[in-house]
Amino acid sequence: MKEKDQGVWIGEMDLTNDPGFIEISEKEFASMPEALGNTEAVEQMEGNRRDFLKMLGFGLGAATIAAGCDIPVKRAIPYVVKPDAIVPGVATYYATSFVNGGDFASILVKTREGRPIKIEGNDLVGYGGTSARAQASVLNLYDTARFKKPMMNDGSVWTDSSWDAVDKKVMNALSASSSIRLVSSSVYSPMKQKAIDAFIAKYPSTKHVQYDTVSYAALLDANEEDFGQRAMPAYHFDKADLVVSFDADFLETWGDGNKATVDFVKKRKIEKVKGAKMNRLYQVESHMSLTGSNADNRILVKPSEQGAAIVTLYNYVTGSNLVASSLNADAKKALQVVANELKAAAGHSIVLCGTNNKAEQSLVNAINAHLGNIGSTVDFAHANLTNQGSDADVDQLVSDMNSGSVDTVIFMDANPVYDFTANGKMAAAVGKVKNKFSIAYANDETTNICDAVAPVNHFLESWGDANPNKGFYSLIQPTISRLFETRQAEETLLTWAGVSYGDSIMDYLKSNWQNTVFGMQSSFGNFERFWEKSLHDGIAMVSTSGEAPSYAGNPNAAASNVTKTKVGDAVELKIYETGHMGNGQYANNPWLMEMPDPITRTSWGNYLAVPVDFDGVSTMVAMNDLKDGDLVTLTVNGNEYTVPVIQQFGQAPGTVALALGYGKAVSGLCGTNVGVDMNENVRSDANGYRTYSSSDVTVSSKIGKEKDFSCVQYHHTYGVQDTDKKTGEIINADEAALVTFSYGMGVQGYQGALTDRSVVYYSNLEDLASSVAHLDEKRAHAQHLNEQQIYGGHDKLYKQGHHWGMHVDLTSCTGCGACTVACMAENNVPVVGKKEVSRHHEMTWLRIDRYYYGKLENPNTVYQPMMCQHCDNAPCENVCPVNATNHSSEGLNQMTYNRCVGTRYCANNCPYKVRRFNWLDYTTADIFPGNQPGINGEEQAYGTDNLTRMVLNPDVTVRSRGVIEKCSFCVQRIQEGKLTAKKEMRALRDSDVKTACQTACSTGAITFGDMNNKNGNLSHKLENPLNFIVLEEVNVRPSVQYTMRVNNRNKEIDA
Amino acid sequence: MSAPVSLIREPLVTGSKTYHQITEDLVSPTEKAPGTLWVMAFSVAAILATFGVFCIAWTIWFGIGSWNLNRTIGWGWDITNFVWWIGIGHAGTLISAILLLFRQKWRTGVNRAAEAMTIFAVMCAALFPGIHVGRAWVVFYFFPYPNTRGPLWPNFNSPLLWDLFAISTYFTVSLLFWYTGLVPDFATVRDRAKGIRKKIYHFLSFGWNGSAKHWQRWESISLVLAGLATPLVLSVHTIVSFDFATSVIPGWHTTIFPPYFVAGAIFSGFAMVLTLMIITRKILNLQDYITIAHIESMNKVILVTGTIVGVAYLTELFVAWYSGYVYEQFAFFNRALGPYWWSYFGMMFCNVISPQFFWSRKIRRNIVWTFFLSIVVNIGMWFERFVIIATTLARDYLPSSWSFYIPTWVEIGIFTGTIGIFFVLYLIFVRVAPVVAIAEVKSILKSSGDQYSGGHGHHHHHEETTSTENH
Repeated sequence: MKEKDQGVWIGEMDLTNDPGFIEISEKEFASMPEALGNTEAVEQMEGNRRDFLKMLGFGLGAATIAAGCDIPVKRAIPYVVKPDAIVPGVATYYATSFVNGGDFASILVKTREGRPIKIEGNDLVGYGGTSARAQASVLNLYDTARFKKPMMNDGSVWTDSSWDAVDKKVMNALSASSSIRLVSSSVYSPMKQKAIDAFIAKYPSTKHVQYDTVSYAALLDANEEDFGQRAMPAYHFDKADLVVSFDADFLETWGDGNKATVDFVKKRKIEKVKGAKMNRLYQVESHMSLTGSNADNRILVKPSEQGAAIVTLYNYVTGSNLVASSLNADAKKALQVVANELKAAAGHSIVLCGTNNKAEQSLVNAINAHLGNIGSTVDFAHANLTNQGSDADVDQLVSDMNSGSVDTVIFMDANPVYDFTANGKMAAAVGKVKNKFSIAYANDETTNICDAVAPVNHFLESWGDANPNKGFYSLIQPTISRLFETRQAEETLLTWAGVSYGDSIMDYLKSNWQNTVFGMQSSFGNFERFWEKSLHDGIAMVSTSGEAPSYAGNPNAAASNVTKTKVGDAVELKIYETGHMGNGQYANNPWLMEMPDPITRTSWGNYLAVPVDFDGVSTMVAMNDLKDGDLVTLTVNGNEYTVPVIQQFGQAPGTVALALGYGKAVSGLCGTNVGVDMNENVRSDANGYRTYSSSDVTVSSKIGKEKDFSCVQYHHTYGVQDTDKKTGEIINADEAALVTFSYGMGVQGYQGALTDRSVVYYSNLEDLASSVAHLDEKRAHAQHLNEQQIYGGHDKLYKQGHHWGMHVDLTSCTGCGACTVACMAENNVPVVGKKEVSRHHEMTWLRIDRYYYGKLENPNTVYQPMMCQHCDNAPCENVCPVNATNHSSEGLNQMTYNRCVGTRYCANNCPYKVRRFNWLDYTTADIFPGNQPGINGEEQAYGTDNLTRMVLNPDVTVRSRGVIEKCSFCVQRIQEGKLTAKKEMRALRDSDVKTACQTACSTGAITFGDMNNKNGNLSHKLENPLNFIVLEEVNVRPSVQYTMRVNNRNKEIDA
Repeated sequence: MSAPVSLIREPLVTGSKTYHQITEDLVSPTEKAPGTLWVMAFSVAAILATFGVFCIAWTIWFGIGSWNLNRTIGWGWDITNFVWWIGIGHAGTLISAILLLFRQKWRTGVNRAAEAMTIFAVMCAALFPGIHVGRAWVVFYFFPYPNTRGPLWPNFNSPLLWDLFAISTYFTVSLLFWYTGLVPDFATVRDRAKGIRKKIYHFLSFGWNGSAKHWQRWESISLVLAGLATPLVLSVHTIVSFDFATSVIPGWHTTIFPPYFVAGAIFSGFAMVLTLMIITRKILNLQDYITIAHIESMNKVILVTGTIVGVAYLTELFVAWYSGYVYEQFAFFNRALGPYWWSYFGMMFCNVISPQFFWSRKIRRNIVWTFFLSIVVNIGMWFERFVIIATTLARDYLPSSWSFYIPTWVEIGIFTGTIGIFFVLYLIFVRVAPVVAIAEVKSILKSSGDQYSGGHGHHHHHEETTSTENH
């Protein structure tokens, strides 16, 4: 008897391995069917009726169990030796960098069991928080559309290949080439630059062409000419009391939007009424940009008037008399006021220009130089290096390729065929090149016409570095080993260059740092220590200095080269970049695609913004009588597009606007064929700079209705004012427009229907005292009403222990939407697709409501992040028939998904409409197979594959169809924070728990904490006299408070 | 009760019927093969019902997302239909219970069909709470039964739970009441039947032999059930109205809802009884049992309840204005002038204006007018529930979340499906049970039969037949 063979034994014969018994026991099940088939055997079997019943019973039982328990555990294998860094259930964070073209962010990556699942800001850079783009980047790691191995294009068919084959093919082609082009987005990684240099050293005929998806070339060239530096300066908004921006969407897409937002908002925080101070922003633009919506005053000009506007401001500021083409009178008047203010704020103001026109940039440089801003607020010593592209180089490339002089072109992280559809028909030019290779992450318009692709790692699988600003270095380290047969671009370049980089590309990176960055700093004498510290922190700062350059431009020459105003009735089109789509490089990210545009509140497609006006009675009239969701034919430069429209408040009359980044022909699941592509209308001006506007435009009348009008907010305003035609009085035009049918009585709305609501409060800096007095009065009234209740309430209970609460500062919120994406990532919120969004089935737990107020034609904007208010008198809780939603002793309004039957009564009874119902099987989690809706007409519904599901946060339940869900105040993070405090044997601090939205917010607009912790961050915020509670008079007692939106509007301009 | 009630009152049974004739008239429809009209009606109803069942299966498979409800409007046609059907049921209970207690003899002509209608309507209504939920397969969580989850009880604070109790009680009592009334009539059918039919009706009549003791007990139980059902007439729709009244949504949060809902329920119930009875009396040739006097009585109830409902609507408007509460004021402003203005207009016209025609005696006694207006009233009452539910939700507190809603084919299919189910059940009912309560009609024959109650009514009846029946 061998001891080790003995598993479980039941009886003696089992233990002794009695041969007879073994025979019987082996027959117990296995031989039964065999026996049943054999009549003779069956007849001979003793008690076969009983066995039949046994088998029947077993079969029935087994079938029931099998049918009832359909949750198979897949490949759960325990560690034999547990890795040090992984504790199951505990997240590990790594510092790295998000880099995509010109977008850069220092980030922390949260990994669980080796899987990156969430991006957080790296607060060592001075602020936490990231952009929505960075938040969403983790989803791309698990993109089903990414290349999984090297591939070759056989004319029309792509086939899987191997690195050996691709490398051989490429290197053969390169060796035989006499003119090579390497086309990439801006390179600001020292390591990548070194690899490129090595490549060029090997193949000296290589020319490196850099471009940015949205061009900064004019700004860079102007700075080179005027200041001797081809770079975008760092703008210190935290030192500027006055910012004037000509079409620069600097809070979102232009330059480092995230950093700009942080600095800009620093100057707008108000904690006391007395002595409150704010900076002021004037935005000169035609289309309501995110920056414009946060501006104190917007000055409306047509795109073609920008040149005249800049010359006019230059004249006013410097007292010159340069010739400006015609400019609308309102803008002229406003610019005079602006100029006076600028002169008063000399040295602590910033003038920005976002147009890609060198002369205009040069004039703005002249204004800044005249005001003495260079060196103080406009800082070349820390210049931004993320955008270095050159329009001229791209044009040269196209003409070189067209002339047939290029025999090999390599695209690296670049998609020029999409980005430059117009200028020179990039695709046709590329087609003329003999060898075309792409170093790409996923298939796109450019890669698709190449001969072979060398797939790259995701940045979360890569080693690397970035030097986004002078003096600032950031490291990239892998947080997961490569999922597929990919190779980072540097490895590919070095392989093709025949340069050995050691065992790992990390060695290459490290040695480069040792030779470069290490020498620039003086804090560390030992490289290893410097390296470890840098890798741990993710960043390294080195000192940088330099004299502020002096202005050497020629304003007179510039003034004659600015855009000339187009006179006449022609409609002008502004083509702009949005924060979530970029120029299409983010189109294949479902989180960003579904994220509603902060301004238009539309998702899944670009909507033509048309100006809107009030008819003086009861209707909002937009250009050509268009309504939201109407389809029109837009003709630009002779190209016709069918686009849906959205009525846009604050859109300059006679102009329309449409976003870039849509209408991609080759992309992944959600990027393909959504919206229309405007790149072909981005044409070069006389000086070869791409112009993001067009005046050769017509807009038809309504030709139909969009099938799925995916706009999450149908009502856009909160008391925008205009003149009543009959009485001549100023009325709330939007309230008048709420009348759909007046029974012939000509009713002009119920005045006060919106403005008397306690949903948002706003003020202007100079009216702050009276606004706060008004707020106090309304709050006192509401509280008086609330005291009349007959129920005792549970206040006493909630004063004990923790009582979680939140504070949102509406003045600090710029509406960027990073928090909403962070929320989706953190809480496994499903993406539902265009059709479902159009049916108002979006699942967002956190949304940002956007309201316009003030003057109808040129309103101000307030953004209101809206999430579950965790009411202490929650109306949702008492109506649930099954107790699926209830209150915790810590003041949380909790959802128990298992218990939810889905009556939706709670959602109906929620005054804030934050509860979300799983209308369909968005997550493949229900008990019915194959009933999931696709998000963009795909065969296998999005999120049903194991790759995409890797992004799910294991701490948060994936909800099934038919249940309600909503913001939980990130209860999983609360739990984690409590455990941390407990382990450290101390009381919990507010900083132990930060919700996903809070950590994503760069400006600190969101604060979460314990209301019972009187010394906590939250309690401090709750003391602000500008605070209010949304719908306080309803007496649901929310745990969320908001701070009034305050602007610093100059009313002189309105007068 | 043998003497005529009054010489002035109209007779409630015309045609100088004898007891035997009454039996013949009322039992014969269950004994004959169905007519073409019945077969056609049944086929249409069955097709609608089948499609309705298909739509329900569709909903359960794909989810509530196959309806057009959204994050703002969580209830639409589903709960509108639910409240509408529940309301319709109320006439049956009122006729059987309250009118019994008030000794209204005219109820005998219509109570059987009205009670049947109640039961079928409640069945249609009860369908909606079951299928409108996201996870129909765990709907048993509603029931307070001992369980291994703690035990975990339902939330007794929730009006939806009150609904469950209210409706199940209502259904049980109505069913008992109806069946109790049917027992002696089933015995009558049994006594005339042969073969298998006899066996079935024998079983259904619980061995009824017509003894005095049986009648005495039957009378007692009828009174007891009437006593039980009477508060239900008021309580069921009161509780249904609590679904809305106890919420915080402006336009729902209204103390007037309970009486207003009850009045509306009786209003719509009587309209539905009229719709059904006018068809039934024609098809089954029951003009002598369901007379113009019956119809006129019911029209009077419609006029009264319709006017109560109208007063309630105006009171709501007044209170909204008087409250000085912007949300409430806007909710009503929005109902009348907002994007759903047509449903408010439809409600006002159908429920408040249209019953006012019944001030005219001529119209009250006119079959065609009555039939037309009874349908108008039912449309109006459907609009009322739609206005309360969908219009209110569409624009509540936060302008950012305002939305709009139109149903999908699935929702429409389920609604028409319930109409199909209702008529399938009703058409089966008229084939298997006496559609007028035989025993009860016989009990009033001596007091309200035309041959006993004097010439006035008799004369009048002939006048009526010539003036209106030929329309």
